[in-house]
Amino acid sequence: MKNGFFLFVGLFAAIGLSWAGIVLGSYAQLGALAPYYDDSEAQAFPQRLPGIAAKGQLVYRDLNCASCHTQQVRRPDFGSDQARGWGERQSVARDYIYQPWVQLGQARIGPDLTNLQSRKPTAPDEEDLMEMLYAGQGAMPAYRFLFRDRLIVGQASDHALALTGALRPGPGHEIVPTSRALALVAYLQSLNTTYDYPEAKPAQGGDQK
Amino acid sequence: MTAQSQTAPEEAIAAEPAGRLPLLLLLGAGILWLLAAGLLGLVSDIQLHAPWFFANCPILTHGRVAALAESAWMYGWVGNAGLALSLWILSRLSGEPLRAGNLVAIGAAAWNAGLLVGLVGIAAGDGTALPSLHLPLYSLPVMLAAYGAMGVSGVLAWAGRRRSVMFASHWYAVAALFLFPWLFSAAQVTLLWAPVRGVLQAVADGWYTQGLWSLWLAPLALAGAYYVVPKITGKVLPSYEAASLGFWCLVFVGPWTGGRHLIGGPVPAWIASMAIVASVTLLFHYLIVLINLREAFGGGGTALKFMAFGVAAYVLGGAVDAVTSMRGVALVTQFTYFDVAQQQLALAGGISLMIFGVVYFAVPRLAGRPWASGSLVRGHLVLAVLGAALLVLSLGAAGLIQGAALNEPSVPFSEIAERTRTWLLLATAADSMILFGNLLLAANFIQTVACGRRASPEALAS
Amino acid sequence: MSEVTSKDHRVTPAAVSDETLLASHEKLLGKQPDDKAHYRLLPLGILFFLSGLILFSATYLNRYSGHFAPTIFNETQKPSQGPAGIVKVDPVALGKKLFNTPGACVSCHQPNGQGIPGVYPPLAGSEWAQGPEDRVLRILMNGLNGPVSVKGTTYSASAMPAFGPSGSNWSDEKIAAVLTYVRQEWGNKAPPITPEKVAAVRALVADHPAWTADALLRVK
Repeated sequence: MKNGFFLFVGLFAAIGLSWAGIVLGSYAQLGALAPYYDDSEAQAFPQRLPGIAAKGQLVYRDLNCASCHTQQVRRPDFGSDQARGWGERQSVARDYIYQPWVQLGQARIGPDLTNLQSRKPTAPDEEDLMEMLYAGQGAMPAYRFLFRDRLIVGQASDHALALTGALRPGPGHEIVPTSRALALVAYLQSLNTTYDYPEAKPAQGGDQK
Repeated sequence: MTAQSQTAPEEAIAAEPAGRLPLLLLLGAGILWLLAAGLLGLVSDIQLHAPWFFANCPILTHGRVAALAESAWMYGWVGNAGLALSLWILSRLSGEPLRAGNLVAIGAAAWNAGLLVGLVGIAAGDGTALPSLHLPLYSLPVMLAAYGAMGVSGVLAWAGRRRSVMFASHWYAVAALFLFPWLFSAAQVTLLWAPVRGVLQAVADGWYTQGLWSLWLAPLALAGAYYVVPKITGKVLPSYEAASLGFWCLVFVGPWTGGRHLIGGPVPAWIASMAIVASVTLLFHYLIVLINLREAFGGGGTALKFMAFGVAAYVLGGAVDAVTSMRGVALVTQFTYFDVAQQQLALAGGISLMIFGVVYFAVPRLAGRPWASGSLVRGHLVLAVLGAALLVLSLGAAGLIQGAALNEPSVPFSEIAERTRTWLLLATAADSMILFGNLLLAANFIQTVACGRRASPEALAS
Repeated sequence: MSEVTSKDHRVTPAAVSDETLLASHEKLLGKQPDDKAHYRLLPLGILFFLSGLILFSATYLNRYSGHFAPTIFNETQKPSQGPAGIVKVDPVALGKKLFNTPGACVSCHQPNGQGIPGVYPPLAGSEWAQGPEDRVLRILMNGLNGPVSVKGTTYSASAMPAFGPSGSNWSDEKIAAVLTYVRQEWGNKAPPITPEKVAAVRALVADHPAWTADALLRVK
């Protein structure tokens, strides 16, 4: 390669072509993805995150939970995602259009969280999630700094954790979640993408099992 | 090539003093970041099998520590050292001392200041949770400007070169200098300043990650490799005619692997399919690199040994990437430690070892004196290579076990953690070996630069 | 010579100068392989390898690119005959969902279709529900007022709301679905109703006020 000019042109073409193909191309296809209006339910899906859940997603992002948890369900013949009860259909692009910061994740050191709120037989409720965050579970670390251990003044707080055994706070103390913990748990409880979009279960073809 | 000096030895060393300080500063900063990244990575890996480790410390909670380690390694270690060595090579090949040294010094200070602010931001909770771009928004423009300042020196060296025909190192170094600002700014804008909607964030981040690998990290290391191997062996690159094809293959095909980690994900299937096709096509580039740099395997000093292991790890990493991108294999390895193992093979194995090779060649010439201790050099070689090998093998084994267990719906996650425990302990041991080896490098570097003894000019001729 | 030998790990001597390095590689690029000015091919092995990779890429994209369509998330999906992604909704399932929507049918006719004795007529076993399509469609479309006899019992002051344009304005699919559901549930055995039939009836009676039982019985 003798000419510096061609080197620059080539380099610019290389990065430009790949950016145009991948980023612009997918933007052209998915950028204007609109919610799907369902006549019978008279509602559009997906729905936006409620305010506190949106704040909770910021907490999720700041703690980088995506380093261990994914939020994407794969199709039935590609892994055991659906057999594990993580979702009844493959996740599609439309599921994420109203998420301000998409947290797809790249590692499953912990379970997938896409449909945490529609797990069967029962979804984890607020108490379960608070306790799991406070105490950790298995490979998941404890997040004590999301809680405060304080003296009970007057009546015990409504939000105080009901802990047992070794985790119980000292006498006269209660463990109370901070606003970040409340937001995070609200976010986790809003994770539910069960609406069946047309593209999620195409009518014909496919190796859907 | 015959061994003859066309410039007198004194000139060769005298050519360095002007460029000595900024480049040594960059290298020193890079080595410090390497240590910091090693320590943070060690904490992160310990937490995988001992979740209670620093769990209650908000700045060291697992998610943040992993982000810190990755950012410090990429932007601190490779950013500083890779850039320093590329600028050095460009100025050597231009036949002139380092140009715009002041700009390089200012840029170095700004880059590292911005990076430090960014890392403190991640620790405080402003991290973006985007793979390869964890640094918060406010630190990025400073780093971009700093990079531009440092790049000026390289551009001047390249534009003012004495011979008009470029060498392979020129292509790679110019590619790294020219393309990183575009990559970095495009990523900043589409992901942080005016974020795209929905899964497009994952697609843009994938493009950035793979672009960073193929247009910045790999070229910085290869610029050094293509320079150092013929310099040490004295032999012409064996298949040099094909070298430019290998370069263009990397640069054109590399970023198309952007959807590499979105296989089966909530994106249209073509994105993942393009990534798979690109990963396989990239094998051509790895082949060309292997056949061009195969003289490195002939032995001949520690620098060349580092380079040999680095090239081997780099090529092997590319081959593993191509294999694991196949959907049948991805079925087992996706989302597991195996992906991490492949990344570490390419990064801690390929890139780091190649850069070490260049460092051990360059620093005596930059400092005007040989390395202070030969045994520290040998020790670093042993620890770095063995550590990298152990890390990759143990994470790979852990990943395969994890992947097989994930595909059995009845296996709970606590069981998976139990099964992978021993391998993760081995990975932690490997991390410690690598960190210790890098400590040896740091000690050697400080001794050499601060108080080594002078060598005679002949030893450092050209 | 110097005190630092080439075997020393502390410095790696360079075998050639930068000038020689550049010059010798430049010669390689400019070298003509032979005087007849033929192009020099890549070594055959590399060429085969590259061709193999290109062949693989083309084949793979041909099979697994999902036609680069934005709605194909599964690359093994076979091309569909009609417009991609039309979901055939099961009318009974949809009808059941509609029937049980709070504020719709279930509030009066109850989940078991028995109604409330003396107040809301039952649908289970009802001759109206299982009767001619035109009658039951008109009930749903425009509502029903006044006394009506169902299964031998007279309900004197019925006030069935309209679900057509003058009332809740349900679509053809929804009316067809809920009626199909009712006509096969709780032991009812009557044929389903199609959205096309609903559309035809709507065209006839869209503006009609609420029916009375007598007027309905005059409809075929």
